[in-house]
Amino acid sequence: MARITSGAAEARITLPGTRPPLSASALFWKAAPAISIAGLFLFWQLLSLSGVFSNYLLPQVPTVFHRVAIDVITGEFWINAAHTLYRALAGFAIAATLAVTIGIAMARVRVVNWFFDPVLSIGFPMPKVAWLPVFMLWFGAYDTSKILLIAFSAFFAIAVNTVAGTQGVDRYLVWSARSLGASDRKVLRTVILPAALPQILTGFQIAMPLAMIVTIVTEMLMGGVGLGGAMIRAQRFADSIGVFAGIVEIGFTGFVVIFGMRWVRRQLLTWHEEAKR
Amino acid sequence: MPAGNAIQVEHVTHYYRPPKKRPVHALDQVSLEVAEQEFVALLGPSGCGKSTLLYLIGGFMPVESGAIRVKGREVTEPGPDRGVVFQHFALFPWKTVLGNVLYGLENLGVPKDEARERAQKYIDMVHLTGFEDSYPNQLSGGMKQRAAIARTLAVDPDILLMDEPFGALDAQTRGIMQEELLSIWQGTRKTVVFVTHDVREAVYLAERVVLMTARPGRIMESVDTRFDEVGPAVMDRPEFVEKASYIWNRIKGEALATVTARAG
Amino acid sequence: MMANLTHGLYRYAPLVLLALAWEAAVRTGVISELVLPRFSDALVSWWDLTTTGGMFEQAAHSLKRAVIGLGLAVALGTTAGILMAWNATIRVFVNPLIQMFYPMPKSALIPVMILWFGLGDASKIVTIFIGCLLPIVVSSFNGARGVEDVILWSARSLGATRRQLLWQIIVPAAMPEILTGIRTALAISFVLLVSSEFIIARDGIGFMISGFGDEGNYDRMFACIMTVVAMGFCADRIFQLFMRRVLIWRE
Repeated sequence: MARITSGAAEARITLPGTRPPLSASALFWKAAPAISIAGLFLFWQLLSLSGVFSNYLLPQVPTVFHRVAIDVITGEFWINAAHTLYRALAGFAIAATLAVTIGIAMARVRVVNWFFDPVLSIGFPMPKVAWLPVFMLWFGAYDTSKILLIAFSAFFAIAVNTVAGTQGVDRYLVWSARSLGASDRKVLRTVILPAALPQILTGFQIAMPLAMIVTIVTEMLMGGVGLGGAMIRAQRFADSIGVFAGIVEIGFTGFVVIFGMRWVRRQLLTWHEEAKR
Repeated sequence: MPAGNAIQVEHVTHYYRPPKKRPVHALDQVSLEVAEQEFVALLGPSGCGKSTLLYLIGGFMPVESGAIRVKGREVTEPGPDRGVVFQHFALFPWKTVLGNVLYGLENLGVPKDEARERAQKYIDMVHLTGFEDSYPNQLSGGMKQRAAIARTLAVDPDILLMDEPFGALDAQTRGIMQEELLSIWQGTRKTVVFVTHDVREAVYLAERVVLMTARPGRIMESVDTRFDEVGPAVMDRPEFVEKASYIWNRIKGEALATVTARAG
Repeated sequence: MMANLTHGLYRYAPLVLLALAWEAAVRTGVISELVLPRFSDALVSWWDLTTTGGMFEQAAHSLKRAVIGLGLAVALGTTAGILMAWNATIRVFVNPLIQMFYPMPKSALIPVMILWFGLGDASKIVTIFIGCLLPIVVSSFNGARGVEDVILWSARSLGATRRQLLWQIIVPAAMPEILTGIRTALAISFVLLVSSEFIIARDGIGFMISGFGDEGNYDRMFACIMTVVAMGFCADRIFQLFMRRVLIWRE
């Protein structure tokens, strides 16, 4: 019976790096992530060596990383990554600006809320990427259509969270500000926005991975420069090593973006996150 | 004793209208006068509308029926003449203590140096010296409330509206804060309207306790609670105990009515 | 009943207005018919495709893929997530892998899927499966480990066995978060479904959209897009109703 509590209780020790006070096992716990990831690559390598799958279907680990290294050195990776990131971030920025503005307007002005509420209701669960052919029709086959589709995809998650965050602002904060002499406008700028910021940032954190997914998809469909384009080219030329290298490269790029966002959130919300710990 | 009324509430009736639910009759024909520099407590069972009345005086909600005048002028919106302190502090979590206290001063256009000086004065007054750069989530409950009080006092309002300000604090801190509030009031002589459901707190702090009925809230009566002695020792005096008992008995019936109404 | 209907009409009225604006804009020539077919034409095409064009079958086929992929993800994901919360060893080894793969845009896996599984159902189903898996694992894990100690201890002192603890306490307590995770995965499944059907242009409703687009049959293209939008919307709504049912104890 003691094992049940210890299992569940230990699982509740949430932060990485905080481990139950067992001395010999302490080292074991700390090394676990490295062991885990190394184990994955080891498993991959063994599997590809075993001959169960051909070298085409499952290239060896060193081969793939060799290709990644070449891409990095020749600049291929950087050029592709730059294009992909540019599109993703541009689309995201457009979505964020529009969505935060509309979201706040929705929370404060009834008519705006009435108009956009069903739009968000339908748009949020809809696979926005289905509109890609429409965007290509309207905006051509180059960056503009990609960026606008990315913006379209990211918009709804940000708007929904902005509305929730703005509506959820503690009324006592607003009242305190008013009785401290703040005008309506001042209250919006100095109280409502900062108070809604955590939820708005949550919306950002949900929208960014979506933006990345859609960026890759559009690049795969339209080709050209970019990580997605490079991947689909590799696939067409039966360059399986290139495909796997592409996964590593895209994975890394995604990783950087997501962790970048988390860092930004931590910086902006020092006053908030501390309370959560 | 200065003459004239700081606050005049005339036949105010108020309904809460939550969306998709039936309106709630919160206040019924409430009339009240608060003199300048008077310390008045609003006491009543939960849900009797005492906080609602406070919010109406503060201008946070529109007066639909009746009128509320502050210094003769009708109340239409919040303003720095009526400072407010809430039960859960309502400090701006993204600002430091100093930032919070400076907020009102910045709004009023006070020049930077003078504002800093004034802010420091009030931070010292509430014994938070040294915590100017702390964020609210680093402070204890009592400290947060001190910061909130400093923030409110910094704009020098004539009237202080306090909504169960010590309700979220533990008993010991509450006692300390009560003393501090009294000394601040004696030092600054503002008009105070203090909402509470704690009988002893009301009798101890206030010069006059206004009793309210259960919902819909009406004024039952006003009880004079001035004593010769100041300081916590007064709470053991027979006059004090008598007054507190009297008030509690008056309120008890109302409180029970509320409890059974809720359950039924 | 009538109140609900009028409320629904009021709520979705802006969409009706938008549809009218769409129709008007094209009819008056403000927007060229080359770029935007009439709303009425799109509706007619929708009807055509449903009755004779085989759109229903294609949509059903697509839906089947999504359901299988999502279903596998739910089964495996909830199990894995709860296991991770249950057993510290599993958690400590699996968590780093999840952290590593989470930020990867799963659409990047489509070419590999083509490589391994060809152009048929399997590649799409596996893509959807992988894409939906992680959000479900994470939310199941968070939900399960969030069960308060005091609840577990109370159950134990009332004589609960390990099994009972798991099924009668932890799973129900974790349900809200698990269901939220599945709702997110639902949206992801549709995105990956359409994406993979675009890229592996063989069949399915996604293929119909891009196909009509290539041909220039824009009214049919819009009709198919409307179908996909409706599918996503209905799936989400139905799932929300399901959630409310299951979590009826919560409110």
